[in-house]
Formats: sequence, C-alpha cells, structure tokens
Amino acid sequence: MEFIPHDDQTIIEMLRVIGVENINDLFRDIPKDLLIESLGLPTGLSEPDLSKKMKQLSELNHVYDSSFLGAGCYFHYIPSLVDFIINRSEFYTSYTPYQAEASQGYLQAIYEYQTIISRLTKMDIANASMYDGSTALAEAIIMASGVRQKTTILIIEGIHPEYINVIKTYCWGHGLNYKILRIEDLNLELSDDIAAVAFQSPNFFGEIQNIEKLVEKVRLKSPSCLIIQVMTDPTCLGLLKPPGDLDIDIFVAEGQSFGIPPSFGGPGLGIFTVKQKYLRKIPGRLVGKTKELFGDQEGFILTLQAREQHIRREKASSNICTNQALCSLSALVYLLSVGKSGLEEIAKQNFLKSNFLKKNLAKIPGYEIKSKNPTYNEFVIKCPNIDALIDECEKVNIMPPLKLTYYYPEMKNLALVCVTELNSFESIKVFLKAANTAINIGGVKDGF
Amino acid sequence: MGSEPVLIFSKQVKKSQKNFIPKMDLEEVSLENILPKEYQRADLNIPEIPEIEIVRHYIGLSKKNYGVDNGIYPLGSCTMKYNPKINEVIARLPGFANIHPLQTKNEGALTLIFEMAKLLGKITGMDGFTMQPAAGAHGELTGLFIMKKYFENKNLNKTKIIIPDSAHGTNPASAAIAGFSIIELESNESGEVPIDQLEFAMEEGDVAGIMLTNPNTLGVFDSQILEITRIVHKYGGLCYYDGANLNPVLGICRPGDMGFDIVHLNLHKTFSTPHGGGGPGSGPVGVKEELIHFLPEPCLISTHSGIYCRENSHTSIGYIKAFWGNFGIIVRAYAYIIALGAEGLKRVGQISVLNANYLRVLLKSKYNLPYDRTCFHEFILTDKKIPNGVTTEDIAKRILDYGFYAPTIYFPLIVSGAMMIEPTETETKTSLDQFCDVLITIYKEAESTPELLKKAPINTPIGRLDAVLAARKPVLKE
Amino acid sequence: MDYNILDNLKYTQTHEWVKIEGMNAITGISDYAQHQLGDIVYIELPNIGETIEKGSSAGEIESVKAVGEFLMPLTGKVIQINNLLSENPEIVNQSPYDKGWLIKIEILNLKEENDLVSADEYKNIIEREDK
Repeated sequence: MEFIPHDDQTIIEMLRVIGVENINDLFRDIPKDLLIESLGLPTGLSEPDLSKKMKQLSELNHVYDSSFLGAGCYFHYIPSLVDFIINRSEFYTSYTPYQAEASQGYLQAIYEYQTIISRLTKMDIANASMYDGSTALAEAIIMASGVRQKTTILIIEGIHPEYINVIKTYCWGHGLNYKILRIEDLNLELSDDIAAVAFQSPNFFGEIQNIEKLVEKVRLKSPSCLIIQVMTDPTCLGLLKPPGDLDIDIFVAEGQSFGIPPSFGGPGLGIFTVKQKYLRKIPGRLVGKTKELFGDQEGFILTLQAREQHIRREKASSNICTNQALCSLSALVYLLSVGKSGLEEIAKQNFLKSNFLKKNLAKIPGYEIKSKNPTYNEFVIKCPNIDALIDECEKVNIMPPLKLTYYYPEMKNLALVCVTELNSFESIKVFLKAANTAINIGGVKDGF
Repeated sequence: MGSEPVLIFSKQVKKSQKNFIPKMDLEEVSLENILPKEYQRADLNIPEIPEIEIVRHYIGLSKKNYGVDNGIYPLGSCTMKYNPKINEVIARLPGFANIHPLQTKNEGALTLIFEMAKLLGKITGMDGFTMQPAAGAHGELTGLFIMKKYFENKNLNKTKIIIPDSAHGTNPASAAIAGFSIIELESNESGEVPIDQLEFAMEEGDVAGIMLTNPNTLGVFDSQILEITRIVHKYGGLCYYDGANLNPVLGICRPGDMGFDIVHLNLHKTFSTPHGGGGPGSGPVGVKEELIHFLPEPCLISTHSGIYCRENSHTSIGYIKAFWGNFGIIVRAYAYIIALGAEGLKRVGQISVLNANYLRVLLKSKYNLPYDRTCFHEFILTDKKIPNGVTTEDIAKRILDYGFYAPTIYFPLIVSGAMMIEPTETETKTSLDQFCDVLITIYKEAESTPELLKKAPINTPIGRLDAVLAARKPVLKE
Repeated sequence: MDYNILDNLKYTQTHEWVKIEGMNAITGISDYAQHQLGDIVYIELPNIGETIEKGSSAGEIESVKAVGEFLMPLTGKVIQINNLLSENPEIVNQSPYDKGWLIKIEILNLKEENDLVSADEYKNIIEREDK
C-alpha cells in the first residue's frame, strides 16, 4: 500500500521548483557511507492481502466465550457509543490541542473527563491522563517524594506484582528507597522520613481494605506523609467509598475498565487525581476554563504548562508528553453512557455475581476460600487441582482464572478468580460444573 | 446563545439509563449482609444522560476540532501523516482487541510483538528491541535506565548526559527523572553539534552519553554524526537517538549505522498510528547487541519451540510498564510496515523531504529562514522579517482563520519566534500550494492590516483565549 | 529596548535586585527579568525562618510560557515574604522594584555584598544578553 498522492509528473515539477535534478540530491548532507540500498524487508501488501494476513495472525490468539480472568485487566461491557465517538476523525486524527481556538471540541471533552473523574473519585483535581495504572503509580511516588523532599516510600503488600516491579525500576532509576511490608507492620516503619505510603484497594487478591483504619494509622504516626491509593478496576467506585471521602492524597487507577478493550494489556488509561493543595505538583496535562481576550465567551485551554517538560525541561516533575487522550475520551463516554444508576448496577452485579461464585465454589469439596476480607469482583480460592480446573475451563471455552504461581511460585493450587457483569448465571454454572469435574480428575495435590 | 460553553452535564435527566447493563439473572441478595455499610459510598454525582444527547453533544464537539482528516497539519516534529483506516479495522479484530495479556493462548500476539521487533531492528540497524514503552518520552526514560544500568554494571560513576540546546523538552526531563544531570551544548551557526565542545565535555570522564536526534529539530542533518558518535565512544560513553525525526531517513539511512547504541521510535509519528488528540502512542526502544541483556521485562526470545519470555535476567532494568506495552498501537504500526514494505518505506523518506523542501523554497521569499540550506522533513521560519510587530503567535492564530492548523510555534527554544513546519509525505501538491498561499496572504496582511492579525483568530468557534487567566485562576472542572 | 534599572539598588548576574537596609536586605527580580518571563501567573516563595545560601534557589516564578528560578543574591535568613503575591502575582510585572518585592532577609555574610554589581554594570549585562 502507499499513501503518497504524487504522480511522477508532479514530483518532477516539485523538484524543478526546489532547484535540484533528482530526489537523491536532497540527501547530499548524508555521508555516502551511511546510505543504504534497501531495508531488506519484503515488498508491501495491498489492503485485501494485508487484511487476510492480519486476520490469520489474530486467529492465532484465542477468543473465549466468557472470562474468569482479571488480575489487572478486565472484561466489561463496552457501550456501542464509545467506539462510535472515538472513531470521529476530528478526535482521533488530531494532535494535542496546543492551538486551543481550533481544538475546543477535544479540550472541552478533556475538561468534561477531568470533571467526571473528579466527581467519581471525589478527589479535587484529575489530570488528562497518564499511560496506565502501573506508571501512574510510579509517577505518584515520584511526585510524593518531590513534594516531601524525602526519598523513602512504604509499599503495602497486595499491590499488583507487575505494578510493584514497575515501582522497583522507577525507584532504582530515580534514586528512591522502598520497603514492601504487611499492613500489620506499618507502625514499625512509619516516621517523619517517609515520603509516602502506597496501597492498593481492592488489592491484587480482590480484597477490599479497611482504608479508614490505615489512613488513621498513618496520620497518627507520620502526619505529613502522603497516602497513595491505587486501584485496578475502578468500576468498584459505583459501590465503594471513593478516595476523596477517605483522606487519600493521591489516587491513581487503571482506567481500562471504562470502555477500553483488553487489547492484550494496552493501551490502557492512567487515572491520576490529587488533593487541591498539590495542584502545582501534579504531572501530566491539565485543561482549564478561561475567557477570550477580546470577547466574553468562555473556552478551554491547556493550562499550568509551566509544570511540564516542554517548559521546565530538566526541572519538570515528569517527562510525560504524549498521554492516553483517546482512552480518556473512551472513559468519559463510557461513564456518561452507563450513568449513575448504570455504574451502581454494574458495580453491584460485579460484587454479587463474584460473591455468589465464591460462596458456591466453597461448597465443592476441595475448594476453600482464601480471601479474608470482603472482596469486590475477584477472590482467591484454593483448588484441589488447579491444572485440572484450567483444562476443564478450556474445554468449554471459558478463559480460566489466574494460576497464582504465575507470580508467586509458593502459592500452589491457588486461583485468582474474576467475575464481572458480563458473566451470566449460565456461564457461572458452567464454571461451577468445570470446577466439579476437575476434582474427579486424578492427579497429585501439590503440597501446600 | 450565551457566552458559556454547554457542557454535557447540563443535559442530564432524572431517569436511569440502563441500556448497557446485562440482565441480572442471579437471585437478588441484600448487600448489607456481605459488605459492611462503612465500605459503601453514600452518594455518586455522575449524570444520567439520554443516548441521543450524548451523541449530539460529541458530534457537535467533533465539529469544533481539527484532525489530519480535515486538512494539512504541519506541526514540526510531530509527523502528522495520514492514518490508514484499514489499521483501525485490524486493531478491532476480536483476536487483537478481546485478548487478555495473561491468557496462555496468545501465539498471535507474541508473534506480532516479536516480528515487529525484528522489523524495527532492520529499519533502524539495531540488534534488539523492546516494545514495552507507552510513548516516546517513556522510551527515552527506558533508554536512559539502560544506560544507567550499563554503567552500574561496570562499576563506573557516570552522572551526566550531553544534550544539544535544540532538543525536545522530554530529553532533559527524562534524563533528570533517571537521575542524570545535564550538560547543554550550544548548537553552532549551522545548527550542528560543536565538535570541540563535545570533546571538551567528554574529557571530564563523568559523561554517560549523548542524546541526539538526527536530523535535528532545526531540520538539519548533522553530517559530522559519525565523528560525534566516535568521540563519545572514545571516552566510554553511549549514544542515544531520539527517533522523533526518523521519518525523512526511512529507507535512506539508519541510526544504528550512525553509531547509536540506543534508539527510541515514536509509532504515533513515523509509523502512522493516530495521535488521538494527544495519545495513546508507543515508544519502542532498540539497542545494540551488548545492551540486549539490559532490556526491560518481559523480553521475548525465539527458540526452536516457539517464542517465549526471557527468564531470570539479572541485568534487565526490570519492568517499566505492566503487561505488554501499548499492544493495540503496535498492531496498527505493524500493519503499516508490512503494508508499505521496503519500497514503500523508502518512498516515505524521500517524499517527506521533497514536500518539506518544496514548501521551504516557496516560503523563503517572504519569511525569514534562519537555516538557509536543504532541509529534511521539517524547516524553521521566524517572524524576523514580518512588519508592524506581528509575531509568530499572531501568524499561527491567523492560519486558523483560513481553516488550516498552525505549525509548531516557539520551538526549538534556541530560535527566537520559531515556526517549525513539517508537511509529511502524505500531503498533495495542491494542499501544499494552498498552505503556501495562506502564508503569503498572511504576510501581506501583516503589511497592510496588522490589527487583523493581532486579533486573530476571528473565524474559529472562539477567539484568542486568555492563557494568563487560565494559569492564575485555574478552573479545572465544573 | 529600554528596561528600568534603579540606581540605588544592587544587582546579580541572574537578574535579581537587592536593597541593603543595615543588617537586612529586600530582594526581588529586575524589570528585565519580569519582561523576559511575560505575564506572571504564580510565585513560590520560601518559608519564614529558612536559611538559604547565596546562589541557591529561593523560589520560582512561573509565567504561562516559562519558569524562572529566583536565586538568593546573598546568604540570609528569610524574615518576611511578600504575601500580596499569592493572590496577585501580576504585581511583580507592574512594579518589580517596589510593590513587587519578593523576600526580606537577615544578611548572614556581609562580605558577599562585594559580589553584587552596580546599576551601571547591570545595564551592561542586559545589553550583552539582549543581543
């Protein structure tokens, strides 16, 4: 395929205007040794041939009828409106809205996104997006260390293991120290030298934390420490108490559950929100409302850009430039489409369906609930034979739950099961049947 | 009509919208029995809006926006080329969109990521690639982390990075996040790196390396590039290539051959994936052989039994993002590369440079051209020759009145009143001519009716906005 | 371009001004500096009681398009900051030498006064930079 519109005649004309003989003359500044003959790639494909090849490649990935896998990426229903709106050329083929007067459409959409996220989380300020939940958490930690001028971070166990890995890399790269600890040991480590405490709720194992108690602990022992909460499936905010009501300083989340397909883990959406007092320290783009200079219409503009890399350069608190704008538009349309009652219902269904499965799985001999706290849409269950369970799921075209040994080799025969509103009663029954069948499969139980 | 914009929130109704919720086919159970009341939220202030209102609102907003599909988008250093529609169809195939990063039946996805790394390696002359970074700046950070790990491994204390003053702001910002301090080099009158100053800075012995883009943000190909990378290597440093400006040299020359050790690419620039109004993008990073073992996890390797994740690398910098990078973007860019093929990619390089030089030559009669030489994919004009105190900003705003988008303004910082123009290879000659005509007309307006330019834009949905008020009294939500 | 330079003040190479009043000094940024920054939107100043070394960062002045670091002209202890500026940072643009003062300090090293430049010398500095 080719997207170059010129014919040979046009090219000759243009070369004449420029004043050179042929195109190669334009590359004279490149040393001859560097010029290459060819890239050594195959020839191109026409659209039908390309489509066929890509379809074949896509079919090497299995698409399941239903899914019981979460662990940081979720299957929720995506309203038809989302794709319809983000497919508008004027949105998706546009650039960052630096020329505000010609970009009022997108700027207003981002302002509406900032507004709805702020209302949903009850946090004072939301930015226009970060890359994803994991990097949003890393940037929150860097921001907190900058605000506090301290270099030690406390990480509560239960944060998504891939997120913890990202934090480890960023802390090493940026010169910060971190300590991973259990909530019970928090009191021992809290001091005035701590920049921030970071925790996930609902955590990686699906458990909803007693956030009020945690915040109280931190404020008592280390009053100026920042409290960072991360969340991987924010649909729970249709049901659970929002961070703004819990005195959280920085709240970050993976927004993929809001109208963005799983897409093998990316692109996602880094939701980033802070308390008002951190306005000048928040990374990422911000859209603000303002007035015309020569009139009295109100409009929207990128603002507080002096925080960002293109002005502050090496003194910027973040290097982020391109963010996940189209994904924040998806999230906005999602939240508007489902609305208040829709989000409440979705959260309730996630909660009830998942707890229903949890309760009924525990009735099957050999299966034991491992979650201690209340869970939202994920929970941990001990299985008599997890490989058999996975096999049985595959047989009926169900995406199996996560084998926890994937991240924690010592957690043998433990599964992280996820149930969303998309799991019908039928599919839950099928899963229970598969779980039942799995205990009758011979096999040695691994020691646990 | 009013002077306030109509926000979506004003369209709310007191009616539950349940169109998108699957039937609840489980027995209704009271929440209180399984979730303590204090865990539940007391109120939720998001609106209920009828579907038709949502559609009309956002269709209306889209009309107040401008994309490549509307007209020329000559933003320098952004490479706003046409976004192929077939790639949007491909990315939405269920086998790409509805797959979970942790599912085991993922042969297609892993193959695509692995093949993409190989293709990018051939295109850039690098030996190994990671597809993990989510954007160019993220790629820069990853590359700098690799540099850091490289020197740590050798027990060498290298704390500085050399960056030319023409560099994009993400370069020094990324270096600072990675814990380096910056040595800024002043570009010479030709817009190139001053070799003597480079050698002087490297002699200190504490420089980890240099970050460059070539051609640079002035549109100039630094012909001394082999000497530059040689000098940096002589003193044990590494050379980093910012691939934002790769478009003009696609199929012509490769950063790997120029001596670069680490390269990042912007799939949303060079490889046609849509800008999306500011993202999502993707910033894969390529390295030479000796740095491969530092690449972030997960890192794919090919064995005779298939493609797998490399395990237990003690030298990897670790994870820089969860899961597999911006896979949906990688799919689009992969489709673009195999659709164009070797010949097509070379034509991209050739015609992007042709189009830029065509515009340059037509505009230099009226506008000041600080680097008056053959340019690459972009070139810079300034407001120096513009009469009556009309500035670059005024010109940019007036361009909007003619229905086009303005070029990048006031960047790079080292050129006062800069206007950076990059047409890309997908613009027609007619489009280029029209853009030229507009700029010439504006010049004439500057001569005869400068007040018009000072008040511009007047034909856009809104007039020039008060950026100062927005920053003094920030209103970031309704 | 004519920038206002007051003869009775001392200056630094980095465009701060100083008015010595016995053991104390009042500081701010010059007319040239405010002009370079453009409309100022926000000013961050240190806390009262802080001791800041000469040449170290003692605050930041933000405009829409730039950020300027305010560098301490003399080592001193902060005894007063200009509270009007949090609500009305534009005062620094309008009156950089008078109502737009930034920080009042107790001077801790009188010898450093010798490193400051006179109004005439500062005029030369601007002329060189402005080319």
